[in-house]
Amino acid sequence: MRVPLSWLREYVETDATAHEMARRLSISALEVDRVIDVGVPDEGDNLGRFVVGRVLSADPHPNADRLQLCQVDVGNPEPQQIVCGAWNFGVGATVAVGLPGALLPGFPGPLEERPLRGQMSRGMILAEDEIGLGADHAGIMLLPGGLEPGSPLAEALPLVDQVLDVTPTMNRPDLLSMVGIAREVAALLDGALRPPDPDDPPVRGGDSLDVRVEDLGGCPRYIGRVFRDVAVGPSPQWLRSRLHLAGMRSISNVVDVTNYVMHVWGSPLHAFDRALLAGGRIVVRRAREGETLRTLDGTLRELLPSDLLITDGERPVALAAIMGGLESEVSDETTEVLLEAANFEPIGVLRTSERLAVRTEGSNKWEKGVDPHAAEPAAALASRLLVDLTGAEVTASVDVHDGLPGRPVVELRPEHASRLIGLDVPEDEQRSILERLELEVDDAWQVTVPTFRARDVTREIDLVEEIARVVLDRVPHTMPLRRAVAGHLTPEQRLRRALEDVLVGMGFAEAYTWSLTPSDPNPDALRLPDPMSGDHAVLRTTLLHGLVEAARVNVDAGNERIRVFELARVYLPADGQLPEERWHLGGIAEGGFEAVRRAVETVYEAFHLPLVVTRTALDHLHPGKAAVTEAGWLGELHPSLLEGEWGAFELDVAELMAPLPERILYEDVITYPANRQDIAIAVSEDVEAAAIVGVAREAGGAELREARVFDVYRGDQVGEGRKSVALHLVFQAPDRTLTDEEVAASRSTIVAALAERLGAELRA
Amino acid sequence: MDVEALEQAALAAVAAARSTDAIEAVRVEYLGRKSALKLALREVRDRETGMTLNAARERVESAVAAREAELQRAELDRRLSEERVDVTLPLGGYPRGRLHLITQIRREVEDVFLGLGYRVVDGREVETTHYNFDGLNFPPGHPARSRLHSLFIDDDTLLRTETSPSQIRTMEAEQPPIYIVSLGRVYRRDTPDATHTPVFHQVEGLAVDEGITLADLTGTLDFLLKALFGQGRRTQFRTHYFPFTEPSIEAYVSCHVCDGAGCPVCRHSGWIEVGGAGMVDPKLFEFVGYDAERYSGFAFGWGLERIAMLRHEFPDLRELWRNDLRFSRQF
Repeated sequence: MRVPLSWLREYVETDATAHEMARRLSISALEVDRVIDVGVPDEGDNLGRFVVGRVLSADPHPNADRLQLCQVDVGNPEPQQIVCGAWNFGVGATVAVGLPGALLPGFPGPLEERPLRGQMSRGMILAEDEIGLGADHAGIMLLPGGLEPGSPLAEALPLVDQVLDVTPTMNRPDLLSMVGIAREVAALLDGALRPPDPDDPPVRGGDSLDVRVEDLGGCPRYIGRVFRDVAVGPSPQWLRSRLHLAGMRSISNVVDVTNYVMHVWGSPLHAFDRALLAGGRIVVRRAREGETLRTLDGTLRELLPSDLLITDGERPVALAAIMGGLESEVSDETTEVLLEAANFEPIGVLRTSERLAVRTEGSNKWEKGVDPHAAEPAAALASRLLVDLTGAEVTASVDVHDGLPGRPVVELRPEHASRLIGLDVPEDEQRSILERLELEVDDAWQVTVPTFRARDVTREIDLVEEIARVVLDRVPHTMPLRRAVAGHLTPEQRLRRALEDVLVGMGFAEAYTWSLTPSDPNPDALRLPDPMSGDHAVLRTTLLHGLVEAARVNVDAGNERIRVFELARVYLPADGQLPEERWHLGGIAEGGFEAVRRAVETVYEAFHLPLVVTRTALDHLHPGKAAVTEAGWLGELHPSLLEGEWGAFELDVAELMAPLPERILYEDVITYPANRQDIAIAVSEDVEAAAIVGVAREAGGAELREARVFDVYRGDQVGEGRKSVALHLVFQAPDRTLTDEEVAASRSTIVAALAERLGAELRA
Repeated sequence: MDVEALEQAALAAVAAARSTDAIEAVRVEYLGRKSALKLALREVRDRETGMTLNAARERVESAVAAREAELQRAELDRRLSEERVDVTLPLGGYPRGRLHLITQIRREVEDVFLGLGYRVVDGREVETTHYNFDGLNFPPGHPARSRLHSLFIDDDTLLRTETSPSQIRTMEAEQPPIYIVSLGRVYRRDTPDATHTPVFHQVEGLAVDEGITLADLTGTLDFLLKALFGQGRRTQFRTHYFPFTEPSIEAYVSCHVCDGAGCPVCRHSGWIEVGGAGMVDPKLFEFVGYDAERYSGFAFGWGLERIAMLRHEFPDLRELWRNDLRFSRQF
């Protein structure tokens, strides 16, 4: 919301500068996004170069059809000759004049005296956009006639202003108003609050207005007023300027008044052309099935029974609290106005505006909850302005409600407030803070809350907040006592960190990929019924998709040595309401099967985990290079997924770590030396390393400490369909040095078993 | 036999030797099995001659040894000086990966709080509306409850919109004192752009104990902010609103780029907003059955991406999810 300072200062008297206000407000009340300087540059005696002028003569320019040559009284003995391009004024008009030397916002240099088409022009008759007071450039500004020529323009118009751009939190709809901001400024900076208090114009004439509210839950209050003899026209400059600085567009005096008063009191209003209300009355009710309404923006809205409507007794005339109907819109022909100053309940407004995807200044306020009491001063101010600005008379006024909300009474224990804040705030100060915020405090610390805070302040803790926010920049920095606590990671958390470190140590960069993927191989994977896009539709059960994408990004970027891993959750469909969330470790690397086989071996070895790999077939892997372990899979990525030779793996972290021993027991491999033997055997091509090692282990007995394939050779000497496998055997006993004879015997047993079970021939 | 002449000849040969090979030849010639000295020693029969010969042999031996050591040293020096390499030539390090930037920050934050005596709790990502909204005191009309802002799986299940459900789950399961942080992914219905991603990360903190104060909260956040942004930073706290805390505050840190003077990073305000916090609303204690008169607490929930972006000044959050090694290798 935009808060022009010149306007705000009308409601609160304070010496504080805009930046002082911004600082106090932002710490203790609401977010101040920035302080915007508007209007003409306030430097040197620039302001003195803007004066009120009266047009003494206005004749066509002798050399240009579209220009006027004016003599303007600017308070000097001699009139000022000014060439002007606008035609919306004549002799006698009171205008705003920029004298030579004046600096205008957005103009590179000062105004110069210079000839225009052969006629000297000494200054400029100003349009509102030229000094930041509006958007209109159709004509020059016309000022009220009473102003003295030559008097400073700054006395008539806010030539220099500052605007606070503020965003109240959603619990403070009272701050979506000039009066609300003024209250906070008064409380925080010790200013004097002077809210607008106009004479509410009396009701004359005997019009009757029939207002029936069928849904007082949705519309707790409806003030309706009828105005006759309304002259719709442009708004005066002061009103146009204020709306402009507040970020609103001037439309007509009637509409501008409703917007202006909404900004003042935070309670939106609407004006209907009463002559266009067919039934001549107001019925507030829920929509009927199939009902439609064409709103002000020209859109035909299809309504649901949950939508609240303003009707004229026959047909809908407004989508309550959100937007008026097109057919009953105030226009230049309007002479009778029905002013609505109502109150609407927030949740219904939010539902309808969300469903229809239409948000307005009004709905934005209603959906946060507006004080029903605010409708009354809003109606009074709007009536005063409509009467003053359009020459209208109030001919009827009704106020429908079923009792208005009262003022909550809440007890405060001042010592409780100090204790919770951690700062001793003296009782007197607490009382003074609350009273400045217009909360009444009696001797027993019973606090009566004003209605404009009634939604937000209902409990003692809410009062503590009021104290706390005002003293917030005095709150010291302490630490909790933290008796009886100790910080530690769980074993699982430590292992996950260690896993990440192992992968990083192997040259893998950690990736973060989306939990939501376009598709998932698991047909039961959780699918969002209403995804943001096809790219984020399914909760993944595997990290594979994201890893392939990460690899592809790096290929496309021309990066080298691509190795990427992710340790993140997958979401497995489960019986209950919530899926099972499991940590998976996945990786992808250039270099095909070998790259990931090495990575997986290292992961297992790092944690002393036994690795058992079994051949398998998986859709996403190369059919000849795919394997599973007890915790997951590894293999060469099927080339249809990504061009090139890529290895990929994915392990379930809990499964991977399940065999992890609680502690590792020492084995003596130092006292008695090991006996190392290498053998080479020839076997058929289809005999796998795991089978050879398995047979060797079984035959080698307890003293075979290690059996490992370290080389595979194929060639003429081995023969077609066969391969030579070199096996490294380590024999060792914990209690003695093995004799050569013992080792030779074990070795023979192994060779014999390999020959018998796998058809192996000993080559060396 | 002229022992003295022999010794002089040997010592001269030693002095003349220019290489280890040459000195070895000298050794063989003068001290070897067939050398005149050795032969004479073998044949000596009287003590006086023996002593003279032996003394000569010892002097020659020690001269040979000294010269040999000298020559070995010289030869080693020569070889080493010839083995000079270009030490400035990079050979390529052992391949090493990188932790994701968010993981690095996650660990940094975890370590700060582990040091302060907090535990780390792993929350769920798919949550019930009960834990994500009701238990956190979100009013019925709160925008986050809308399908326009959050990602629902069905009416009662959604991807958590903040890490705060872990507060409720922890308080339901345990009694005070509770000092935890919980870090992980959260989800919002935001179309990816430079400053939004539908998935991002938060750190949630919760302390519930007897006598916890707002001052304890500002002190803790002050400590964290200085740990993350530098000890020279100043902090400021401003009032705010969240459904699950009362009073609520927003934490600001003095701009680490301009130190408060004003720059584009802090949008010329000198302050950078980091995240929300507050005193646990007594409503939450009511929900989980804690005595709100006895216990008080504070909580905070901050975005890790925001910390990363502020600290490292990269312009587009989506880089964190593209996983381009040219990005990740920088951190």
